[in-house]
Formats: sequence, C-alpha cells, structure tokens
Amino acid sequence: MTATLRVSNLSKTYGSGDHAVHAVRNVTFESDAGSFITVVGPSGSGKTTLLAMVGALLQPTEGVIELDGRDVSRLSGRQQAQFRREGVGYVFQSNNLIPYLTARENLLLMRTISGKNGREGRERAEQLLDELGLTSRADAVATELSGGERQRVAIARALMNDPRVVLVDEPTASLDSERGKQVVESLVREVKGRNKLGIMVTHDMAMAEMTDRILEMRDGEMTERNRPSIPDASA
Amino acid sequence: MIGLIEIKRRKMQFALIGLIVTLIAYLVLMINGLGVGLNEQAGSALENFDADALAYSDGAGLSVIRSELGADVVERAQQVDGIDAAAPLGYVAANYRYGDGDVASAAFLGYDPGTVGEPDVVDGRPLEADDRFGLLADSAFLDNADLSVGDTVPISLRLDTIEFEIVGEIDQGNFFFQPVVYLLRDTWQELKYGPDPEEGTPIASIVLLQGDDLVGDYDGFEVVSKSVAFDNIEGVSGQQATVTALRWFGYLIGALIIGSFFYVLTLQRIVQIGVMKAIGASGLFIFSQGLMQVVTITLVGLAISVPLAGVTDWALQQLPDPVPIAFTTGTYITTSISLLFAAALGALFSARQVARVDPIIALGQQQ
Ligand SMILES: Nc1ncnc2c1ncn2[C@@H]1O[C@H](COP(=O)(O)OP(=O)(O)OP(=O)(O)O)[C@@H](O)[C@H]1O
Ligand SMILES: [Mg+2]
Repeated sequence: MTATLRVSNLSKTYGSGDHAVHAVRNVTFESDAGSFITVVGPSGSGKTTLLAMVGALLQPTEGVIELDGRDVSRLSGRQQAQFRREGVGYVFQSNNLIPYLTARENLLLMRTISGKNGREGRERAEQLLDELGLTSRADAVATELSGGERQRVAIARALMNDPRVVLVDEPTASLDSERGKQVVESLVREVKGRNKLGIMVTHDMAMAEMTDRILEMRDGEMTERNRPSIPDASA
Repeated sequence: MIGLIEIKRRKMQFALIGLIVTLIAYLVLMINGLGVGLNEQAGSALENFDADALAYSDGAGLSVIRSELGADVVERAQQVDGIDAAAPLGYVAANYRYGDGDVASAAFLGYDPGTVGEPDVVDGRPLEADDRFGLLADSAFLDNADLSVGDTVPISLRLDTIEFEIVGEIDQGNFFFQPVVYLLRDTWQELKYGPDPEEGTPIASIVLLQGDDLVGDYDGFEVVSKSVAFDNIEGVSGQQATVTALRWFGYLIGALIIGSFFYVLTLQRIVQIGVMKAIGASGLFIFSQGLMQVVTITLVGLAISVPLAGVTDWALQQLPDPVPIAFTTGTYITTSISLLFAAALGALFSARQVARVDPIIALGQQQ
C-alpha cells in the first residue's frame, strides 16, 4: 500500500547565481494518514520552506509531492487555491489572522471562502473555540487578542475545513508550556481522531516527543532522528 | 460578508472616502440638474406642445424664430398624409413692463382657441375668439412680474405699447429662456407684422401636427419630430454638449478618485490579501469583497447626496431669481446608476493588483 504523503527528491532554491539560497535539498520522506510528524532544526534550515511546498504555497524547484496519489506540487493556480482551502490547514509561523475580524469570524471565513455558510460551519467553529479554550474570547477582534490566543485561533482556523493535511509552523512559540502542551495535544487528537496527516515544526523537544516521529532539517537536508523509545508509526 | 465587516470595524478609514463619494455624487447631481434645468428654460413650452411633430417653413433651418408660414403652406401642412389634428402657431418675443417700469421679455405664442395648440388653463379662463387683448400667462411670468389673473400688463412691440389683460394662468413653461404667454393668433400677427396685414403676410411660425409618420420634406415646409425640434432650439445643442461634457467629466473624476482610493487601500492590504490567498481564498473572492465595499460606499454617498440635492433644489426655488436647476426622478436614477457604474469601473484598477499578490507573503519571511 502506498503512503498517503510521498515527498520525493524535493528541492527549493531561492534566487539564482551568486545569490542562490538552497533552502531545501533533495528531501525525501513518506507518511501515512493518522500520523503526526515533527520537523526540528536550527533557524534557517528550511523547515518553513518545506512546509510551504507541502501546503502548495510555494512551487518546488525540483521533486514531487504526492498526496493520496495526486501530485500537488504542480497544480494550476485555481487548483492550488482550492487545495489550500479544502485540503490543507496551515498554521503560519506568524499567526496571520485577519486583524479586523473577531476570533469566531476568522474561523467562519474559512467556510465563506469555500462557499459554505451553513449551520454546520458555525457548530464546527464553536466546537473548536471550545476545544482551544477560546469561547470567552470568541467575539474579540484579532487585534485585541493576546499572542497565545491568536496562535490558538490560527490553529482552530486551520482545522475549520477538516483538511487532509495539517501543517503547523511553531505553534507554541507564544504559549506557555502548559498551554502549549494542551494545544499540541488537541492537534494530535484532531489528526489521529480524524485520520489526517500532521506535520509540525517546533524547537520544543517536549512538544516533539508528543508526536510519532521526528525529522531533522540541517542546511536544507533531512535526516531522521533516532528515537528508539517511541515506535515509528510509519514503519 | 467580510468586506462589509471591514467597513464597520474601520469606520474612520471608510468615512473619508464616503465623504468624497458623497461630494462627487452631489456635484454630478447638480450638473445633471443644471442640464435638465437649462433644457426646461430653453424649451419646456415646446416639450409641452400637444403635438407629435412640428412643421417649419423651408429654409428656416428648424428655427422657430426664422420660420414663417403663409396661408397656403399652413393649409397644405394641415393636410399631410397620416395627420390626425393640426394647429398653426405664431411666435414672437416681446417686452412687457411691470412694477416700477421694469422691462422683461416673454415668448408670445399665438394660437387658435379650440385647436390642439390651446394650452390647459390652470386658473382663470381660456381665451375666447373676441379676447383680442387677452393673455394666458405662464405661472413663471406671473411670479416674475408679480402679476395675477385679472391684471393688465403693457406689452411693447415696435413703437407701440398695448395694454393686455391676463385672463388665465397656464403652466406651459419656457421658450428661449423666457416664460411663455399665449394670445390669439390674429393678435400675434398684428403684433409681429403690424395692423391690417397685406395679402401674403405669414399667418403662423410653425404648425403643430398630431399623427403617425409625418416626418419628411414637403413642398414649402419640412416636418420633424418634437424631439428633433427641441434639439434645434437655438443654443440647446451647444448647451447640452457643455453639460454632457461636464457630466462625463464628473463621472470620470468619480471613477478616478474612487479607483485611486481603493488602489491605495489595496496596497495597504497586500499582506492581508496574501493571507487570504494563503488560506485558499480565490482572487475573485477577494476582489469581490473590495467591489462590494466600493458599491456600498457609493450607495451610502448617494443616499446622502440625493436628499441633499433635493433640499438644494427646494432652496434654490425659494430664491427671487430662479436658478436653472431642476431635478426629475429620472435625473436621480440615471445619475445614481451611472455613478455606481463609474465607481465599479474605478475599482477595477485594483483587480490586477489583487491578482498579483503572492500568497507566500503570508509566511512573513521578507520583513
Ligand atoms: N523568499 C525567500 N527568498 C530568499 N531566501 C529565502 C526566502 N525565504 C527563505 N529564504 C531563506 O531560505 C532559508 C530557509 O528558510 P526557512 O524560512 O525555510 O527556514 P526555517 O527553518 O523555517 O527557519 P526558522 O526556524 O527561523 O523559521 C533561509 O536561509 C532563508 O533566509
Ligand atoms: Mg520558519
């Protein structure tokens, strides 16, 4: 059986000539639905670049990304947009909420851009607000939220459309460790419970330990981190 | 919708453009009101003729002033194929005196009682065949001269001054920027050509015609539709060209200002647009939100400026010297629709900018 996500020989070079930055070099890995991967690595090692390619925000310079047998690295602009709103939930490194919308409206926006404005979406928004401890802040506009609250709204937003892949870039940066742990727990629960595929970038090893597998980026190259204590779900 | 939510949450930002749109809408409404007002002054009396077409003498170049019809031509004009009714009408401009010797001029139209040339009387009574020195005066004439039905007014033409009695009030409007006054056609002929006319003296300036398919060139006269006749009133076409140019200029300014404002707004929102795209919103969705904002702001601007124009209109009517500005429901509707259109067109400037935003800016790498 083929894996849900297959990344083969993926490379990304920014710029060209003397200014070329080889942000991601020849990365290959696979992952199955229901598994949660952590990507660690020093700053500038290419973690965000990798995530952005999987999330169809960035075209790879070389290589293929297959999701459920479909090459998502070479979609047309319109297909990319559709994939981003329905196939992917992306939590950006800088949370990127729409500043003048409330927490709840930021979540519902995911439905609106998909042309769905039904009751189902409102129920899903309430459920996520509740899960992430945001119910009391649901009507506050994004600019009035604390950094941690914004981070959690961004996570809830990524989960709104029940995407196949959840990509999370430094989700716990502005959260205390207790809150961070809760957030990662709900992410893991969401991914496992709904048989999604999760990739999280973090510097926090305690968070990384909560996931199935740890991949390490270094100068754009990827290596698997040995972690005999926890069985590898994709093995 | 999120475009509307943004307006609600960022009121100050949008209030400014709302104000500008309101002022532009007001300006364009005023220009259009001026167009209607000038037209009314130029020839609402002609518009009010109970006729489908008008006959002018050959070579008069559709000028009521120059057109002169003899008895034989009037006879033929009244028998054109397809005619239902006809009435000869004479025109002459003359001065009258009022108040403490003030002199003003009016458009005198000579008609025959009982024909389609007879105006509706709103006060007093219509002219009878023996009302040789009777007048039906337009309301504007009475207002200007501070006269009323039953008063007499000295009319001077050539060297004579004759006292006329105002027997009725009419609401026929203006001709050549002067209020109209109706009198008997025989009296008109006397006013214009002197008493005891010789054989062959013109008996009318034009003939009003009712019927279908009358337009054409005939022996000694030509027949044109009422709207062609209107456009040929001296000064109308030049005046309308000016007003039309002003109007287009107004719409252009509207499109440019609204367009530039939303262009700047789009540039300010590049990151937000990038985020929207990164979470999968289509360029069309994002643009349509902006368009919705433009339309909403324009509608608000119109909702303020239309009543404002109405109030201005009312205020101008109170002035002793009437200002040639007039509004019809049509003016309000066409101006509103055209301005909405111009605003939407202006918003299109930003469409390319929206399309060009790259969603990777949501990654926030380049700071
Ligand atoms: N748009 C870009 N243009 C040019 N170079 C870029 C661009 N984006 C990233 N880079 C470079 O590519 C490399 C990888 O960047 P990336 O953001 O993927 O690293 P990262 O592992 O996410 O780092 P961090 O932990 O600081 O977020 C870095 O050297 C970075 O400077
Ligand atoms: Mg990064």
